[in-house]
Amino acid sequence: MLTQRYTGKTVLVAARERMSFLFDEFEHIIVSISGGKDSTALAHLALVEANRRRRKIGLYFLDEEVTYQSSADQVERLMSMFPENITKIWLQIEFNLTNSTSLSEGQLICWESGKHKLWMRPKKEWTIHHAPWDTETQTVRNKSKGFGFYDAIENFERCYHGAAFLVGLRAAGESPNRWRAVTKNPVNVNGKTVYWGTKKGDNFALYPLYDWNFHDVWRYIHDEGIPYSKIYDMQFKKGYPITEMRVSSLIHERAFKSIVDLPEFEPKTYNRLQKRIQGIALAQESGKSGKLFACRKLPKNFTSWITYRDFLLDTHLDHERKHIFVNRFARQLNNEYVARQQCRQLILNDYENNLSVDSSPDPRDELIRYYDEVL
Amino acid sequence: MIRLGFTESEKDSEITRYCKENQIRKVFILSHGTSQLPCSFAGHEHIEYSQVIQYKYYYRLLQEIDDSSLIVVNECLRTQNRNDLTYNCIRNYLNQTRHRIVFQYLPIIDTLDDFMILFDLDTRSRWKRDKWRESMRGEIDIVSKRIDVRLDRIYVETDNQTRVAYQREKKRIISGIGLRDPHTIPRNLHLISGKAKLRVVESSRQYVGRNNRFKIPSMHTFKDDSFPDICTIFEYCHNFISFEDFLAKSGQSNIPVLVTDLKVDEWYHERYVALSKRIRDAYTAIHG
Repeated sequence: MLTQRYTGKTVLVAARERMSFLFDEFEHIIVSISGGKDSTALAHLALVEANRRRRKIGLYFLDEEVTYQSSADQVERLMSMFPENITKIWLQIEFNLTNSTSLSEGQLICWESGKHKLWMRPKKEWTIHHAPWDTETQTVRNKSKGFGFYDAIENFERCYHGAAFLVGLRAAGESPNRWRAVTKNPVNVNGKTVYWGTKKGDNFALYPLYDWNFHDVWRYIHDEGIPYSKIYDMQFKKGYPITEMRVSSLIHERAFKSIVDLPEFEPKTYNRLQKRIQGIALAQESGKSGKLFACRKLPKNFTSWITYRDFLLDTHLDHERKHIFVNRFARQLNNEYVARQQCRQLILNDYENNLSVDSSPDPRDELIRYYDEVL
Repeated sequence: MIRLGFTESEKDSEITRYCKENQIRKVFILSHGTSQLPCSFAGHEHIEYSQVIQYKYYYRLLQEIDDSSLIVVNECLRTQNRNDLTYNCIRNYLNQTRHRIVFQYLPIIDTLDDFMILFDLDTRSRWKRDKWRESMRGEIDIVSKRIDVRLDRIYVETDNQTRVAYQREKKRIISGIGLRDPHTIPRNLHLISGKAKLRVVESSRQYVGRNNRFKIPSMHTFKDDSFPDICTIFEYCHNFISFEDFLAKSGQSNIPVLVTDLKVDEWYHERYVALSKRIRDAYTAIHG
């Protein structure tokens, strides 16, 4: 693994150098934004460089519909920051999103045609309403899951050749796995080895903020006076730990906890969301409790996580996707520790395996063995 | 500023002195426990630890606390999670004023990392996520009255029948542990050693134990609000915080402990001897 060493320069100077390098080497630069803090800092860095060179870059936002209103507002603010240097690429197209809050409506079709009265907010006139690629030949990673978020990204990226897609992915201060994933496959950009990117078909995905920590991002936003999503302020006031301050989709398997505080942060968004999709009221009530979604406490009428998992599998409502879980679990260890994680996947309808299961021996067994020896 | 090992009267005089020197108009005392810290300064308000996170206090206090307020964080080291919601809320209160006093009896719960929670409170979390290092000493105004915890073992021998019963119970608990917390193994085995200690209990002595299941008149529990001057530990509690609460409330530092020859008792005793060493090491690390 690439080791981390301190050099004499700050991460900001290094990121500006990277940005300058990208503008030297690439004709097409597209910055992916989400309305979050990282992409806000990245977009600003890129726009400052574009403005200095009097060039145009794309700001690309794949709108998941079920997001905070503040995130959409933040994207709009970013897109109006340097108008002469921006090509707005705001996609409001149909694709599938996993709904972790309900098994009877396990997927949301964002911006589904015919349901415009239920949409979280109306589409903007100037955004892209139809897929800008040939839908006849579009690729889908897994047909049983349908055309999803990552399919939309891949197909969009294929519209370009030799372009640099900048992503606000950070590896410093995150897990070692993240660091490894970012740096393990360095790319060659016109003869220069770049450790902060990956090759994606004809294009490059590049992470100029890969060595930034979360406080570097906040420091940059503060020093430059950049507006940011107000959801962060509310989460800070409520004492959210840094790792749980998120502003992405509200319904996927890592973000459903956001729904608990949504009525307080954005009551109108919460009202719309309740009408839009099933399971929201349940997630709002029990999103942070250990009993349901987090699967930290075994329901009273079960004696073990294994029996609970088997029950959830037997009674799984989504018959089309049940086999995905059955096949996956067959490859994993069969103990209480693993079964609890499998229950969580089933409850959150995580057929995409985003909440990976640690298939290893039960750590409780080790503790029991220790007590058996020392006592 | 951080003040370690202060008694209630010392805390009171420290608050009074600080208020006089800094023209403080109101004192907010955030305290754990049912008994309130006596405060002779007229304009003070008590907020119980569990109330710190409640909306009815949170938003009001954010509005009321200003630079003429003193916040006293009294014995609030209750969890080792540095990002705990209560700590975050306290830090938000502390952001409203420069005036704060952090009182704590012992510097740690279990490890030196716990001291960083007190350090965060006193320094507006300047080094949040960092571990303690010597260079941080200059950043805090800290006064410690060192508490040197010494545990004097009183040996209690068990008979063969008790040892056999102990082994039988151990097998039974481990085989039936199911999904229960594995820490129930030492907790439950500890009950057997309690029976063995009964014969050495003296009516003239005061004891402290997990509970008063043997109906001993001179037995106190770790959750009591006050203790006599000298208490013998009848049996240890499993949780370090309860033990440290006992130290703070009783003011005792040389403590006789009944320890049988059963393995579970040895294990608990070694655990607490190691803790008392970590407390001594923490003072050395903090002050040099």
